Amino acid sequence: MSEKTPEKIKYSILRFLDVTGFTVFDPLVRLAFREEPRKQVESLVKFLIIPIIFIAACTGLWWVVAPNHKTKSGEVPTPDIVISSALINDTFSNREKTKESDFLLQGEDRLESLKEVEHLMAERATELEFLEAHLAEQESIYKTRTESLISPIEAQLNALKEKNRAARTGRSSEIDTLSLQVASGERPYEALVRAIREDGELYAMGRGEESVFKDQIEAIRSDKYKPLEDARLAVNAVADEIQFLKKRQGFLSESNRSVKLEQTKEKLVAQDGKLSNAEDAKAVLREAKAFVKLEDGIGRLETQQYASAMTVYLQIKRSIFTVFVGFLMAAAIAIPIGILCGLNKIAMACLTPIISIFKPVSPVVWLLIFQIIVGAFFPDPESHPFFLFFDSIPFINTLGINPSLIFSACTVAMCAVWPALVNTALGVASIDKDHLNVARVLRLNFWDRLTKIIIPSSLPLVFTGLRISLGVEWMVLIAAEALSSSDGLGKFVWDEYQNGSSFSFANIIYACFVVGLIGFLLDRMMIVLQRFVSFDGSETAV
Amino acid sequence: MNDDRFLEISQVVKAYPNPFGDDVAVVDGFDLKIRKGEVISVIGHSGCGKSTVLTMVAGLNEITSGGIIVDGKEVTEPGPDRAVAFQAPCLLPWITAFDNVALGVNRSYAHESKSIRKEIVEYALSAVGLADAMNKRPSEMSGGMQQRVGIARAIALKPKVLLLDEPFGRLDSLTRMELQDVILDLLDRDKITTMIITHDPDEAVFMSDRICMMTNGPGAKVGELMEIDFERPRDRKEILGTDAFFEYRRRLIQFLDDCEHEKEDRRKLKAGPEALENKPMPHASKPAFKEESGPKVAV
Repeated sequence: MSEKTPEKIKYSILRFLDVTGFTVFDPLVRLAFREEPRKQVESLVKFLIIPIIFIAACTGLWWVVAPNHKTKSGEVPTPDIVISSALINDTFSNREKTKESDFLLQGEDRLESLKEVEHLMAERATELEFLEAHLAEQESIYKTRTESLISPIEAQLNALKEKNRAARTGRSSEIDTLSLQVASGERPYEALVRAIREDGELYAMGRGEESVFKDQIEAIRSDKYKPLEDARLAVNAVADEIQFLKKRQGFLSESNRSVKLEQTKEKLVAQDGKLSNAEDAKAVLREAKAFVKLEDGIGRLETQQYASAMTVYLQIKRSIFTVFVGFLMAAAIAIPIGILCGLNKIAMACLTPIISIFKPVSPVVWLLIFQIIVGAFFPDPESHPFFLFFDSIPFINTLGINPSLIFSACTVAMCAVWPALVNTALGVASIDKDHLNVARVLRLNFWDRLTKIIIPSSLPLVFTGLRISLGVEWMVLIAAEALSSSDGLGKFVWDEYQNGSSFSFANIIYACFVVGLIGFLLDRMMIVLQRFVSFDGSETAV
Repeated sequence: MNDDRFLEISQVVKAYPNPFGDDVAVVDGFDLKIRKGEVISVIGHSGCGKSTVLTMVAGLNEITSGGIIVDGKEVTEPGPDRAVAFQAPCLLPWITAFDNVALGVNRSYAHESKSIRKEIVEYALSAVGLADAMNKRPSEMSGGMQQRVGIARAIALKPKVLLLDEPFGRLDSLTRMELQDVILDLLDRDKITTMIITHDPDEAVFMSDRICMMTNGPGAKVGELMEIDFERPRDRKEILGTDAFFEYRRRLIQFLDDCEHEKEDRRKLKAGPEALENKPMPHASKPAFKEESGPKVAV
C-alpha cells in the first residue's frame, strides 16, 4: 500500500493541473516522479522551454526598442523600470499599512515604536548628509567633466560663428555695391539676383555647420552621467524615507488615535470642572454645549479609522469587487431570461430585437447613461436609505458601497449580460430531444423538467457564456473606471496618465500587466468551475 | 375487460406532409390486437415504420387517423403506463444509475414513502443485474450496462405495456444475448405485455409469443402474424437447436425476402419498361422512405 502513495500523489497533482488548465507543467511532474524521463524532457523542451525562450526574446526586443522612442512622458520604459515601478508601488502600499498600524497603536507599544522611529530618523539624517555631500561632489565632477568636453567644441563653434559672420558681412557689402552698379546700369540685374541667392545658400550652409557643433554640445549636456544619477536617486530615496519616518512619528505621537483620545478626555475633565463652576445660566448653557461637543468627539475618535491613500492593491481589490457585483447582476438577469428564451420561441422572438440592438452598444454609452440614472436615484447618497441600509450591516459596510460602485457595476453588467444570455438560451434550446422524450414518458412536471433535465444539460453552455461575460466585464470595467474616475485599476491608470511624473509611464505599463494577470486568473477560475459542472468531462478551450 | 384485446391498434395511419404533392402515409392501416401478458415482436425491413408504430403507442408521435387503446383507454399522450426503452439508453449523464431510475419512480409513486420508492428502484436495478453499480454514472458504465439501466427505468414504473425499441440494436452480439436473457427472465416473472421492435429474426423467434411481420413502406401494414409455440421459461440452448426454431426462422426470412422482391418490382414498374430491359436496377439496399423522415425516435 505504501508503495502506491507516490503514485497517488502524482495523479492527484496531475489531476489538479488538468482541472486548472496548466497541463504544460504535466511533464515536469512526471519527470519529478521519474516516469519516462526521455519523453518528458522532450516535451518539456518543446512546450515549455521553447515558449520561455520566445517570451524572453520578446522581452529582449522590448528592452532594445523601447529606449529609442522618446515621448512627452519620457522614454518608453524598459522592463527593469516597469519592475522597479512595481516595487515602488509595493513599498508605498507597505508604508500605508505601517502608518495605519502606527495610527492605531497605543500604550507601551506606541512609545516603543516612537523611540525606534526617532532612532531611525537620526540614522537616516546622518546618511542623508553623507549622501548629499557625495551628490555635491558628483555634481562638481560632472560639471568640470562636461565643461572640459564642451569647451573645445565651443571654441570651435565660436570660431566658426566668427568666420561665418565675417563672410556674411563681406557678401552683403558686395551685394550693396552690386546693387548700386545695377541701378546705374553698369551691370545686368541677373548678377544681383544670383548674388542674393548665393548669399542665402552660403548662409544656410554656415548655419548647418554651426548646428553640427551645437548638437554635439547638446548631446554632451543631455548625456546622463551614471554616478551623478545614482547619487541623486540615493539622496531621493533617503529623503523619501525620512519623509515617511516623519509621518510615522506624527502618527505615533500627536496624530495617534489613542493620544488624541487621551487629550480629548483630559479636555472633557477640564470641561466638567468648568461646567460645575459656571455661575449664570448663560455660562452654564455655553459650557454644557461644549461638553456635549467634546463627548461626541470622543465617540467619533473611538471608531475612527486610518484614511489610507489608494494604493494599487486597494485599487485592485476595488476593481475585483466591482466586477464581482456586476457579474452577479449579469448572471441574475441573463440566466433566467436565457432559460425562458430557450424554452419559449415567442419569448425568443420578443427579446431578439432587444438583444440585437443593445448588444453592440459601446460601454462608454452605457456608462454615461447609468451615471445619469444612478445619480438621479441618489441625489444625496450620504443619507439615502439604500446606502444607510448597507452601512448598517457589519462587514458589508467596510466594502464601500457608493453610487460610483453601483453605476460601474451596472455598466459592466449591461455589457456582460448578452453573451451569458445568448449562450444560456442556446444551451436550453439544444437539449437532447431524447432527454425530453424521457421526460414526456415519465410525465415529469415543469419543475422537475427544469431542475433535473433542462438546467443540468444546459449548464456547460451557461458557464461558457458566463466565462465570456466575465472576460468582457473585466475589460469594460477598466475603461469605465478610467472614464468616470471611480475607484479601481482604471482610475489608477488614468491618474498616472494625468500625473506625469517620471514613473507614470512605467506605472501604466505595470498596470497593464496587472490587469492582464487578473483577467487571466478570473478566466482560469471560470474554466475550473466549468470543468466541475460539465457532466461530459469534455475539454474546454483554454 | 377483454384480455385478448389488452392493447388494440386499429387502422392506424401515420402520414407526413409531402411538400411536392399528397401526404405520404408511412404506416397505412396498421391493425393489431395484443393479449394481456403477451410478448410480441414487430419485425420488418429498416425504414418500414416499425418505430413509428411504437412511438405512436407510446404517445410520443401523433396518430394521423385510427386509434390505439391500451387497457380500455385511448392513447392521447405519453405516460408511465407505457414505458419505453429506447434504442439509445437516453440516460441523464449528470446523475447516477439509481437517480436515473428514481426520476420516474418518484413521479409515478409520489404517494408512496421514501423507503418504498427506494426499494422499488433497487429492485428494478437488481432485476437487470446492476445491484452493484447503482451509484455509477452513465459515463462509468459500458453500453450494455447503460441499456440495462434504461430497461430498469422502464420496468420500475410497473407499466401496463413495455415498449422496447430495438433495445439491443447498438450492442455487440455477446452483450445482446446476455441482455435478451435478462429481459426474458423479467418478462417471465412479471408477465408484462411487451412490444419489441427488432430486425433480427433469431431474436424475434427466441423472445416472443407472436411475431408481427410488417410489409415495406410506404403504406406499411401488418403482413403476417406468426405464433411461436415454445414453452416458457425458454432456454436458449434447447430452443436454438430445434427444427421448429429453424422453421419459424425460415418463414420469417421468406417473408422478408418476399417483401424485398415486391419492392424491387414496384420500383422497376415505376421506372418504366425500358428500364427493365436496358438498365438493371441495383439491388435496393435502402428503402424509398427512411424512418428518419419521421420524428427522431432513437439515436
